[in-house]
Amino acid sequence: MANISIWTGTSYFFPGDTPFGYYDYDYQFQTDADKVAKFCAQRLGYPLVDIELQSGSFYTAFEQAVTVYGNELYSFQSRDNYLSVEGASTSSFLNQALVNNNLAPVIRQSYTYAEEAGTGGNIDWYSGSIHLTSSVQDYNLGQWAIDNNVTGGIEVKKIFYDRIPAINQLYSPWAGLGPGATSAVGLTGLAGYGPATNFILMPLSYDLTNVNAIEMSNDVRLSNYSFQLINNKLKIFPIPTDEDHGLKLWFNYIKIEDRINSAIVHDGSKVNNLFKMPYTNPVYMQINSIGRSWIFEYTLALAKEMLGYIRGKYSTVPIPGAEVTLNQSDLLSAATAEKEALIARLREYFDSTSRQALLERKQAESTARQSELNQVPMTIYIG
Amino acid sequence: MALFGGSRDISLFRKVNRELMGNIISQEVVYYKCDVQETKVNMYGESSGGRVFNPPVLINALVERQDQTAPIENELVGFQWPISFKFLRDDLVDANLVTEIGDFIMWNNGYWEIDNTNANQLFVGKDPNYPYYDDNGNNPLNPGLENFGYNVSIVCTAHYVPADRLNIIKQRL
Repeated sequence: MANISIWTGTSYFFPGDTPFGYYDYDYQFQTDADKVAKFCAQRLGYPLVDIELQSGSFYTAFEQAVTVYGNELYSFQSRDNYLSVEGASTSSFLNQALVNNNLAPVIRQSYTYAEEAGTGGNIDWYSGSIHLTSSVQDYNLGQWAIDNNVTGGIEVKKIFYDRIPAINQLYSPWAGLGPGATSAVGLTGLAGYGPATNFILMPLSYDLTNVNAIEMSNDVRLSNYSFQLINNKLKIFPIPTDEDHGLKLWFNYIKIEDRINSAIVHDGSKVNNLFKMPYTNPVYMQINSIGRSWIFEYTLALAKEMLGYIRGKYSTVPIPGAEVTLNQSDLLSAATAEKEALIARLREYFDSTSRQALLERKQAESTARQSELNQVPMTIYIG
Repeated sequence: MALFGGSRDISLFRKVNRELMGNIISQEVVYYKCDVQETKVNMYGESSGGRVFNPPVLINALVERQDQTAPIENELVGFQWPISFKFLRDDLVDANLVTEIGDFIMWNNGYWEIDNTNANQLFVGKDPNYPYYDDNGNNPLNPGLENFGYNVSIVCTAHYVPADRLNIIKQRL
């Protein structure tokens, strides 16, 4: 005849009494475990009524409550800090870390724009060239990619088939030659270099005016080198002549698949989702009285739930000549409501201290303070 | 293989029953077991010297009483008070007590002689004392059936007996 012992009124916690043993060697957890067991049993009616739970039941609920508390806390921390931690190493835990805001996610985002603007990013630009053919105006760069074993297609970023940039046609006013000689000197390859023999420092706006004038002149008077690129089909202007035949036309391109591949970093040691945020279970002794109070209440709700399930395994219990219905439904409904209320309270508490909420509150405080200060009479001191 | 009504569940039932009967309802009776060996009978099976009882046993019970009546029989006024005593069988086992017809129960300073006993309240329809073992001590259909089911109670129906008909004398409070 099995005789399973139930709560006797006292308990003595030993490491190993909880299912997972997360906090078993935390001496404050050890101390509180027996107190919590007594608290729960008495809140459930002991010693006026028997409580069909064992000390291990209370320890289990206590361990779970601490873990749930930690989960809620670190889930909140993960949400609040995710952008600052995404991409960080998972090897060092953040439980004790102060995570400051950083610009890493913004910079990462800017890479994609930089790539498109050709000013940075993390996509390689490749160079390619085609040989011009006399009288041939159209060149298929897509076919060029296939012929050169570039898979996934290319996107041409730059065609080096243009007139000399206006700046290269401007010889430095420092050269002492005066603005009239700039175009000729630029063509010799010396554009932009000045020996500083001119001792009149011209304002920069003077150079910019000249450059704009040259550029406008090229557009209007010299409608020479130009091209059109649609769907990697290159049409160049003017039509190459015999003199151009065999010359190389250079261009820059990216591999289209690099745009996606560069955005994906395969590194298992980095934080790439919420569930890789390096948080562990909390250290019980570091939880303050507010947190512990919540844990005690949640332990009670869990114990109540356990007791409800125990008393409710059978809808009725046989007694001599009759049956009785225990209070399982009351226990279960109360436990469910209490658990939900406790979780909601904790989440509300955490959410009210998020970075966003704190900043909003600070802003409101600042506004209120300013408003208050505006009410202060400004007396005029007459000495 | 049996799944429900295992010995752990029965342990819970036992505790609930003992809490209910012992701490909450708290009805107690005194059970007088008739000592058949010590009771002298004549050649007609009559115990002219009166019945002899074992020492009384105090035990929890649920007492279900009917109304008292005073029927007139043979121009004599009688007194009837039908009653049934419901025992938790485990309590009787612990007290080493077997209820039988002819035993007496004292409750509320009255005495009742047991007319019938009934052990027919089986949880999940099984009595763990009958696990249907074969010659090798096995039950091929349900091994371990002795750990399932519960023989909950023994219900004794009894009739009222005036105290002066018994050899039971109250000697002290």
